[in-house]
Amino acid sequence: TVVAERNNSLSRISSAICVTHGLRAIHATATCYKHHAARIRVGKRDKPVTYEQALHPHHIAHRKGWLSQHTSNLEGEAGAAERTVEDVFIRRFIFGTFHGLLADELVIKRRGNVLVVCALLVQKVGPQKIYFLIGYTEALLSYFYKCPVKMEVQMVKDRVVYKYL
Amino acid sequence: MNHFRSMMAASVGVVRCFRLLCRRLRLPEQEIRCVHSSRSTGKCGTLFVSGIGQSAWNAAARLHTGSVFHSLPPAITVTDEADVLYGKVEVLVKGHDKAVLDSYEFFTTVAAQELGITIGQVYEPKKKIERLTVLKSVHIHKKHRVQYEMRTHYRCIEFLRLTGSTAEVFLEYIQRNLPEGVAMEVTKTAIEKIPDHILEPLWNSTPQKEQSSQ
Repeated sequence: TVVAERNNSLSRISSAICVTHGLRAIHATATCYKHHAARIRVGKRDKPVTYEQALHPHHIAHRKGWLSQHTSNLEGEAGAAERTVEDVFIRRFIFGTFHGLLADELVIKRRGNVLVVCALLVQKVGPQKIYFLIGYTEALLSYFYKCPVKMEVQMVKDRVVYKYL
Repeated sequence: MNHFRSMMAASVGVVRCFRLLCRRLRLPEQEIRCVHSSRSTGKCGTLFVSGIGQSAWNAAARLHTGSVFHSLPPAITVTDEADVLYGKVEVLVKGHDKAVLDSYEFFTTVAAQELGITIGQVYEPKKKIERLTVLKSVHIHKKHRVQYEMRTHYRCIEFLRLTGSTAEVFLEYIQRNLPEGVAMEVTKTAIEKIPDHILEPLWNSTPQKEQSSQ
């Protein structure tokens, strides 16, 4: 979608020299040097964006925290792939269960055997329905993963906007 | 026997201390403004009540049948066996976030000071970084890669001269309050009595044997 400078080879080379991604050579190929991961590019300044979305992934551990907290990525610990697959499933499951209600990304924490899912919900729907959805999620996920699953939910009036991009 | 009794008394004292400590050092309650359905009896068996209101709390409690952290307080057992003695208990914690390890170190050292456990060295082994370089594109473009790294920070806290029961209780307290994303490795160095056949050097005993044989 974003293939801005492809026409003029000179402009390509000049822009490549300004942007150093570890390689200091001239890039003569297409826009492979651009990073796309977890970034929203700046546009007409009309799109509201949360703090999590506005900061790019190289800011993790500097200006951002971690969304999924477990020990399997540490040195000498196992099970990273299994935890990641579980996390992906949980995020999709909750995105679908609380459709239109999530204000921001989920935070998934693992303390011992317990899976704690922390969510920020928008006050669109009454509390009875929220209670039901939370209980349903906890019960289903605990049956899927054979471990206690707890949800910690905080309600928020609106999505908190950090910037307009 | 007196030695055992004093050790037992000490361990009972430690268990009582542990319960008092749980109540004294309880984690600060976070301000949770609205719905908080899942209730947990806090760590160490104390009950934290959030500011919802009795009926809402009851309603939340009815939602899930199996309560997670309900456990009976540990029963005090009295045995005649000698308690294991540890010369050193090393606790190595690893995590991705240095700030979390800093705060955990503060918590552990304060807890040990309150319980009267001697703290040895508290030092920070060098961090380890695991880097990997992968291709950026799905197909071809070999010259364009992405590099990721995973940093593991360490903290080592040593405790000196503990009894077995103290070590068990203290380690259980420490481990129940381990933050998410932090792993712990414990190394215990026990002190044992020297076996009798090594106690006396051979050159003292053999002349007696020769004399007895003669």
